[in-house]
Parts: sequence; structure tokens; C-alpha cells
Amino acid sequence: MPKLLACYKWTLNEQDIKINPADLSLDSSRAKGKISDFDRNAIEEASLIVEKQGGTVDALSYGTPAVKQSLKDALSRGPNKVYWVGDASAENADAFVTANVLAAAIRKIGSYDFIFCGEGSTDMFYQQTGPRLAQLLGLPCISYVEKLEIEGDVLKATRKLGDCLEQVNVKAPAVVSVLSEINKPRIPTLKQVLGAAKKPNEEIKVSDLGLTPAQLSPKAVRKGARGFVMNRKNVIYKESDASANVAKLAASLAAEGLR
Amino acid sequence: MPGIIVFSEDGALAQQLLTPALELKKTLAQPVAAITIDENTAKTLATLGADSVVLLKAEKATPEALAPEIADFCARESAAVVLIGGTQRGKHVAAQIAAKLQAGLTTDAKTLAVAGNTLQCTRILYAGLAICEEELQLPAVATIPARTFLAPAASGSAASIETLEVKPDTRITVDSSTPIGTSGVDITAAHKLVSVGRGFRKKEDLKLAEELAAALDAEISCTRGIAEDEHWLPLERYIGISGQIVKPDLYLATGLSGQVQHMVGCRESKVIVAINNDERAPIFEAADYGIVGDLYQVLPLLTAALKN
Repeated sequence: MPKLLACYKWTLNEQDIKINPADLSLDSSRAKGKISDFDRNAIEEASLIVEKQGGTVDALSYGTPAVKQSLKDALSRGPNKVYWVGDASAENADAFVTANVLAAAIRKIGSYDFIFCGEGSTDMFYQQTGPRLAQLLGLPCISYVEKLEIEGDVLKATRKLGDCLEQVNVKAPAVVSVLSEINKPRIPTLKQVLGAAKKPNEEIKVSDLGLTPAQLSPKAVRKGARGFVMNRKNVIYKESDASANVAKLAASLAAEGLR
Repeated sequence: MPGIIVFSEDGALAQQLLTPALELKKTLAQPVAAITIDENTAKTLATLGADSVVLLKAEKATPEALAPEIADFCARESAAVVLIGGTQRGKHVAAQIAAKLQAGLTTDAKTLAVAGNTLQCTRILYAGLAICEEELQLPAVATIPARTFLAPAASGSAASIETLEVKPDTRITVDSSTPIGTSGVDITAAHKLVSVGRGFRKKEDLKLAEELAAALDAEISCTRGIAEDEHWLPLERYIGISGQIVKPDLYLATGLSGQVQHMVGCRESKVIVAINNDERAPIFEAADYGIVGDLYQVLPLLTAALKN
């Protein structure tokens, strides 16, 4: 029976972030948190396996102290228990720091047969955590997985490698990162939400992980985030007469040399 | 000892990586080594300004086999900057190299420059809503998407080619490998695209877009929902942050609202045209030209107008 772990990131919902037109700064004061989209696929896949063939699935997240808000949501998606590391260092963490913290936390919690990650987070989309984590833990890693099953201690996966699909097998323990097409994450039912309140969570302090200050300092420092502005002509034809609009658009396309 | 190392398993992308590498060489004053996996690409790279070329011979060019070999090479050569082609294979390899070198890694760098002991890159955040600068201490790794740079011109010199045997990673076994995208259409190469979204009520209605595409000599692309949820079109045709990134001369978006995750895949198109019945849809802000109207009415009219 597989012992699984799903890692996830609690991110800001990018739909709630506004761009200040005056200086293009980002206003995230009204942005709500969410479990990063692709990480929901990771939690879902691990949970589906356990619901179908037994075993256990835990979840693990590293984030700012706000990560605490995610626990109930995570648990309502299937995991038996959630471990969380809420620390200010996460604010500026890059994938180097994130992988260091997750690897140290996993060593502390114990061993898993398979560790699931999403392809990348919806905010930073570094797409590094899975393969970096595997490297730090000395485990094999199968990334960009669009389909998988577990038979005994072997995980069979279909992975995407850009120009081809590969059918690959790996024996536990291993790390896998999944693509969004692998499943449709559930919308937790009322029963699952109520059940989540009874499930355990455990905080892991960064100070208990034995990491050096260097391991907690990002190697990639983000500076000067600003809104992306489209400089477009915005010539919009919106008369009630569709034929007139079409004639004007056809003329515009001709003027651009696109007919 | 090459301080600048580029790698891609994709021949065209490997060539493109030499352009930023040669630019960084001007500041870093360190040689450039180019790594690839096929002999013809290796020969080409040798003529494009690389100071040395490494040909990796692998039975199977899996990321788990390539990553340790390239990471060891980078460590041996005390690499300062490592540039990797931003394919899925490349991103996996880059992450493991960065982990091994304990280095920072910028994903999908748009611009790169060396300043002092740092690599400065720009990249997008929040699915394209924002851009930011990242400053990485050297040694640093960056992945670069295809077509971010043009390949450099031939340098007139010929670099030496060294061959390295890649040991397989026996922990992962490959049962089979099936090429994808064999429909033969590479929408990233199309000059014009007609892109469809959920404004189409059923699959059969896509023929309206197909007819328009035929009149424009364009290919059809789509949103993630059309490919991934509806399965009306193959996955290789969907545009967006986790799909294809395109820069055609014309991107005609119809029946799609223009969410940022989609727009990041097409916003560098030369001309963007929107056809949508919702005047407040964000696609109009991103468009050069647009028609507010029912696509079921507008598309046939536009097709007819373009045929004349």
C-alpha cells in the first residue's frame, strides 16, 4: 500500500492582483490565497490513488505564515494529514530555498514511497521544485507526467518530453511532477470540508530543520516586479451593423498587409 | 575552461542559445561551450562561434540521463553561466543542474546580462500579469524559450567537437517512446493564427473558424479549455502559459475572453485582432483591431469579405 506525499504552494490568486496604472506597481492587497492550480492536480492524483487502492497520503507546504489558511482546503481534497512550514523566509524564496526546506522537512517527517509535485506554481512558475527536490533527496524524478498508476512498489507514468510521450517506470521511492491534464481537481463536497476539520495538521518550524542561513537565502533575487502593459492600437469596431464592422476590419487587415 | 555553457537537445534552439551566450561572452570574457545530442547540430554549433562543442552520445536522451552528465561538465569547467533551452526536457535538466551546483535558476528568461558577479534576467510572474528582474549570483543557470533569440551568423571558424558517452539512469526504465504532434502542424511556425475559445457552442461550429483560417491562409489554435476540457482540438494547438507560445504576424482571437494565462502565449504577436460579443472582455485591451459582435454572424461575413 503506497505511502504518498503531495507538496503544494499557497499562492495569491493572480486574478485578484491589480496593476496600478500610474507606476505599474502590483496591488495584491485584495488578493485572496489559493492552493496553486497545478498543485491541486498533484494532491488530487495522490488522493485518487489512495481512495482507489488504499495506502495513505499526506500533504506538505512551505509558505509564509499565511500558509496556515490553506490547511483545511488541502485536507478537504483527500490527504490524511498536512504538514506545514510557515515562515517569513518564504516571502522571497526561490526554488533553491523552497527545495531546501521541503527536502529537510521530508527527511524530518520520514520516508514516502512517492512524492507528488505540480508542474510549477501559478505565481512564479519556476517549474523546478520537483526535480530539485529529487536531486536533494537523492531520488529519481519523473517530470511532466500526464498519466500514472502504481502497481506494488512501481509507479508507471506517461510523461511528456516536448516532442514525445514516454512510458516509464520507477521503483519507490521517487518524485513525480504532474501536468494539469492528468486529472480534474475535485471541488470538495460539504462532507469532505467538514471531515477536513477533524484531520490532523502539524507545524514544522524552520529552526528545527537544521538549515544554514545560506540554504535559506534565495540565489535568484526578484526585483522590481511591474505590471505588463500591452501597447496595442485598440481600434474596436462596434457599430450595430455587422457588415460595416467587417468591411472596416478587412480594410485594416489590408492596411497591415495581412490579407 | 568554458565559463559559459549552453545546452539544448533541440538543434534549432541550441543554435539560438549561442546568441545570448556570445553576448555574455563580451562582458564575462570567458569561452563558450555548446552541448547537444546529435552530430549534425554539433557540427553546426562548431561553426557559429562556440569555442568548443560537446556531443553527448546517449542511448536514450532522457532528462535523468542527461542532467548528471551536464552538471558534472559544468562543475568540472567551473561554469559561470549555464543557458539551457526551455523545453520540458531542458527545464528538468536545468533544475537538476542548478540543484547540483547550488545555483539560482531563472525560468524562461526573456533578457540576460552580466553585471559584476551577477546574472540579471527578466521573466514573467503571475502567468504573465507582471514582469520582474531577477538577480542571480554566479554561477547561475537560466532556461530560455525557443525563438527568444535568432541563431547567430556563421563565425568563419570551426570549433573542436568532443564526444562524451552518457550513462543511462537505471532507476527509471523507458518502455516506449511515441512522437507527438505527428499531425505535422507546428503552430509556433505559423505566420497567421485564428484562435478559438469557448464562445463556440459546439465542435461542429469550429468550421466557421476553419473557413476564415482558409481565407487568411492561417492555422487554427485555441484556448486550454478547448483542447484540455472539450478535446475539440489537439493539445499541441493550445496557446498559453503551459501550452504553446507563439509570435505570428496575425493572431485573430475569436470567442475567447483573453485571460492572462492565454494572452501570455500570444501577446508578442505582431497584430492581434479580437472578435467577441462582450465589449468588456479583456481581449479588446490586448487587441489592435476588434469587432464587438456575435462570432456566428461576424465570421462568415469576414470570410466572405476576405475572399473578395
